[in-house]
Amino acid sequence: MIAAVLPPLSPGVLLAAAVASAAASLWLLLPRGTENVAARWLGMLLGAAALAGFIATGRRLGGLGEEAVFLTVSLVAVISGAATIVTRSPVYAAIWFAMALTGVAGVLLVLGAQFLGVATIVVYAGAILVMFLFVLMLAQPSGLAPYDRVSSEPLLSAVAGAVLLGLLTLTIGRLSAEPAACCAVPSRTAAVAGEPIASKPSATDPTIADDPLGNDQIARLGAELFGRHLLAVEVAGLLLLVALIGAVAVVSRGEAALEADRGLLSERARG
Amino acid sequence: MMLPTCPICPIVAAGSIPLLHNALIVGAILFALGLVGILTRRNLIVMFLSAELMLQGISVSLVAWSRYHGDWGGHVLVIFVLTVAACEAAVALVFVLQAFARTGRLDAAAWQSLRDESLSRTVDRELPASDATPASWPRLSPAGVLPAGGGEDNQQREHI
Repeated sequence: MIAAVLPPLSPGVLLAAAVASAAASLWLLLPRGTENVAARWLGMLLGAAALAGFIATGRRLGGLGEEAVFLTVSLVAVISGAATIVTRSPVYAAIWFAMALTGVAGVLLVLGAQFLGVATIVVYAGAILVMFLFVLMLAQPSGLAPYDRVSSEPLLSAVAGAVLLGLLTLTIGRLSAEPAACCAVPSRTAAVAGEPIASKPSATDPTIADDPLGNDQIARLGAELFGRHLLAVEVAGLLLLVALIGAVAVVSRGEAALEADRGLLSERARG
Repeated sequence: MMLPTCPICPIVAAGSIPLLHNALIVGAILFALGLVGILTRRNLIVMFLSAELMLQGISVSLVAWSRYHGDWGGHVLVIFVLTVAACEAAVALVFVLQAFARTGRLDAAAWQSLRDESLSRTVDRELPASDATPASWPRLSPAGVLPAGGGEDNQQREHI
C-alpha cells in the first residue's frame, strides 16, 4: 500500500528503516526513570513509522474489505501489545494486555479459528488475566514503585527485539515468496480425498466450499482432539492437576516457612 | 443440526500465501514485543504478562500455518498452549506472591543476591518525583449526601 506511494525505496532499505525506528521507538517509550513528554511523542511517531514500514512489507490479501479487517485487528493487537510493555503502571499493563487479547482473538477469527478466538477471550481475558489482576491488587503498593519507572538495559533489549523482528520478517518474506511457483503443499484433507483443494466443486460460495476448516468446525476440532490426540489430552489434564496441587502446596509450605523466619528474627531481636 | 454454511465464515480462502505471510508477521511482532518486555521490565507481573504476549504470538503463527495447510495440528497445539499457560500462571503467581511476602516488593532486582558472582550489582538511582499525578480530577456536580468521615478517607489515591 505504502510501497506504491514511495516506489524508489527498495524492500531491504524499507525493512532496515522499519527495524531501526522500531528499536528507537521502543527505547524512547520504555520507562527510563525520567518522564519526558517530547520523548514520548517522538517514540509514538517513530513507532507509527515502524508499523507503516511493516505494513508495507505485507502482502496484498485480495479485496479491500479483507485487508481492512485484518489490518484493524492486527493493529489493535500490536499497538496494545506495545502499550503492555511500555506502560509504567502494572494495572494498566494488564488492561492493555486484555486489549491485545481481543486483537489476537480477531486475528484468529480472520484466520478461521472460531473456537480458538472465543477460547482466547474466555480463558485468557476471563480467567488468567483476572488472576493477574487479583495478584496485583494483593501485592501492589500504592503509587508507582521505583522499579516500575526504571527498566534494566532498555537500549540493549530494544535493539535485540527489533533485530530479532527484522530477521523473522526477512525469513518469512523468503518463505512465502518461494513455494508459490514450484510446490504448493496440498492439505491433508485434500490428500486424503485424493484431489487438490482448488479443483473441488464450488457449491454456492467458493470461499466456503474450498475451506477444509470451515464447516462444522467445533465438531471436527473435537473429533481431532479426542481422536488422534487423546493421550495428549490426558497428559494435559494430569498437568492441570499437578499444577493445582503444586500451587496449593507451595502456598501452605511458604506460609509456614515465612512464620518460622519471622519467629527466628524476633527471637534474635530479643536475645 | 447441520448448518448449511458456517455462521462466521473465514473471509480469506484456505491456502492463501498472503494471509499466511501477514499473520506470521503479526505473530513475529507480538513475539518480539514480549521478548523486549521480559528482558527489560523489572516488575515480576509485567514480566509474566510479556511471556503471555510471546505465547499469543506463537498462537497466531500456529493457527496461520494450520490455516495454510488446512490441517488441525495448529489448532490442537494452541489448545495445549492455553492449558500450559493456565498451569504456568497459577504456579508462577503463587511464587510471585511468596516473593512479595518476603521482600515487600514485586521487583526482580530484589533477588539479585542470587546473581552470578561476575555480574555487577544493580543499583537504583535517585528518581525525580513522579509526575504521573493527573493535573486535575474531573469535576462532578455535588449530588447526594456527603460521606461521613472526611479528612484522609475522602482523599483519592494518587494513581494506581
